Amino acid sequence: MKKLLVILILGFISACTHDILEPIDLNVVDVPESLKIDDISGLKTESTIVSNEVRINAKLPYTGTYRIKIRDIENEMISQEKLNAEEGDNLLKVYVSTLPKSSYTIELAEDNHTIIGRGVIVVQ
Amino acid sequence: MKKILILLVSVFGTLSVFGQSRMDYTRVNTVTQVGDTLVVKYQYFRGTDANGADMPEAKVYQFDIQHNNKLLDVISNDWQPTSTSAQKAVNTWNGYKFTIDSEKEQTDFDGQYLSWLSGDATYGTDTDWSVQRVTYQDVTSLENGAEIMKVSYKIKDKANTNYTDYTNLINVNWANYQEADGTLIDVTGQSNLGLTGIQGGDAGNVSLSISSNVITNNIGDGTDFSYTIFAKGDNQTPLASGNFDAAGDATVQGLENDVEYDAYISIDSSKEYLDNAVTVSDLALVFAEAIGAGNGPNGISTTFDYYLQSLLANVVGETIPNGGDINFQDSYEILAYLQGVESTNTPFISKTGQAFNMSGIKSTFGDEVDGIARVSPTFKPTDNNKSFQFGHALAGDVNFSHGFEPTSTNASIPTQATNATARTMRIEGAKYQPETANLDLISEIVDGQVIFSINSEVLGMVGSQFNIVYDKTKLVLDDVIFDTGNEMTNFANHIQADGKINIGSFDQNFKVTIKNGTPYKIIFTPTEQINNTAGLITFKVKEGVKTDGTQINFIMN
Repeated sequence: MKKLLVILILGFISACTHDILEPIDLNVVDVPESLKIDDISGLKTESTIVSNEVRINAKLPYTGTYRIKIRDIENEMISQEKLNAEEGDNLLKVYVSTLPKSSYTIELAEDNHTIIGRGVIVVQ
Repeated sequence: MKKILILLVSVFGTLSVFGQSRMDYTRVNTVTQVGDTLVVKYQYFRGTDANGADMPEAKVYQFDIQHNNKLLDVISNDWQPTSTSAQKAVNTWNGYKFTIDSEKEQTDFDGQYLSWLSGDATYGTDTDWSVQRVTYQDVTSLENGAEIMKVSYKIKDKANTNYTDYTNLINVNWANYQEADGTLIDVTGQSNLGLTGIQGGDAGNVSLSISSNVITNNIGDGTDFSYTIFAKGDNQTPLASGNFDAAGDATVQGLENDVEYDAYISIDSSKEYLDNAVTVSDLALVFAEAIGAGNGPNGISTTFDYYLQSLLANVVGETIPNGGDINFQDSYEILAYLQGVESTNTPFISKTGQAFNMSGIKSTFGDEVDGIARVSPTFKPTDNNKSFQFGHALAGDVNFSHGFEPTSTNASIPTQATNATARTMRIEGAKYQPETANLDLISEIVDGQVIFSINSEVLGMVGSQFNIVYDKTKLVLDDVIFDTGNEMTNFANHIQADGKINIGSFDQNFKVTIKNGTPYKIIFTPTEQINNTAGLITFKVKEGVKTDGTQINFIMN
């Protein structure tokens, strides 16, 4: 009976300990407040008025191939990047030093051109 | 009844032949320009009665003249009678104008005199008018037709006045002719003296406007253009110069009416977009023309749509007016330019830092005269026309991508004289509207290198060009890989200092087309750690050429 009690107590204690977590592959990025996106996906620029470069957060719904497009004031695409990125937040950069001073639209799209998010920057 | 009619006609005839004394004022000389001196003679005519007998002689001749002092300036009053016994006076008041007695005819000069005495006609203040009172008295009467006075006036510019013409300059307000006993004599005359056809004078605000696809297609704006104005035929001493506004309009002051001027329009040669003015599309047009040169009427053209293109395409060699034509020397100069090969010539190819301007009146821009295109810099402000529109084009820019495509029918080469029938079906000014096609230009990081690839599924292109700008602070060019087909002539012009690469292809025979897939790939090595490439590579020119020379503008989703 005593042995049975000890086994029960040990079993109870064992049941109260934390489970051992198996490591999983999550895209955990330390996203600054200025780039946080509440939605499941989207695009956010760190600043609207920029020079040289600007950080962006491309929050993606799944891991895969995406496009980052830059369009001028007439909506003509003047630059396009194709990249493979992870689900969740992706801190990237848009380089603007070769762009004339103007306003541009940054587009985040799936590989099939479906748009996920947009942002506007002004290069000065 | 017939007799009554005859009697009436007789009476009217008598009235028209015989009548009152007159105060006539007429101009002595011919004047045509602002600044000319107008001489007016004031003349006495003795009247006759119904029987043809002379009216009583006058001893006193007094009359008031008023002139518009905004349009005339009195230079001198010159008495004409030579009598030494005469008493003469001229009094002047500025800022007054006579208001007639409306119950009487204006030309009833003695009647208006009486009304003025009675207060039924008055002088009111009016800064635009001046009054001169002329008084002449003598014991001897003046002869019939005698000139009392000649007044010389300088014609003033009507600019900045409230007057649009010179049709009412001088009025005689009243006349006081008296017999020796003081009896007033009936006097009549004309209502006013005016002038027409007076030219010159400050033209005031003259409007110039400039037309170019640089403005129309938002490549730049009107502030990129400037004007310089010379006297016609001169190109040494500028009379006026300035810039256009964003819309391509300018207001010029200091010009004179009815004077011819030459205006020359220039584009700011520092603009970077000028490097995109001459492209593979222009090359194709020049090559096509070179192949067919000399076969057309007047030896001018077989493939061009406008006479002006011969001037724009003639980048080297003898000028067109001096017997030059478009030949392979011109096309190879443009090809060399696209390839970045330094020419031993100095070709008229417009690019950043070197713009070769051609400008002229828009409505006749590129009009053919004796088989050669002309542009006219000449304009003449007049009262009725103070707005002038100009067109602007650049040497080497044969398809007017950065210029004004002529709209005058006289600028267009007749369809039967050209081989470019597909384009010439369109109206003037719209023959160089590019077609569009989809293309995919992407940059990506592959194995630590940045790869820029141009992916095309466009069929039927004999030429293409892509002007690429890259961030030279972060990328170094490693290689350019062509996969356009075995027979295609490819070119790549790397301007390292500016971070520019112009690449493309062209089949000079207009037969071989560019292979689909990924015909161009540019490989860079990053100079620092980068995680993505957005914005590092941008594209300025991305165009293709069809076999007939039509430009294709690539668009991307």
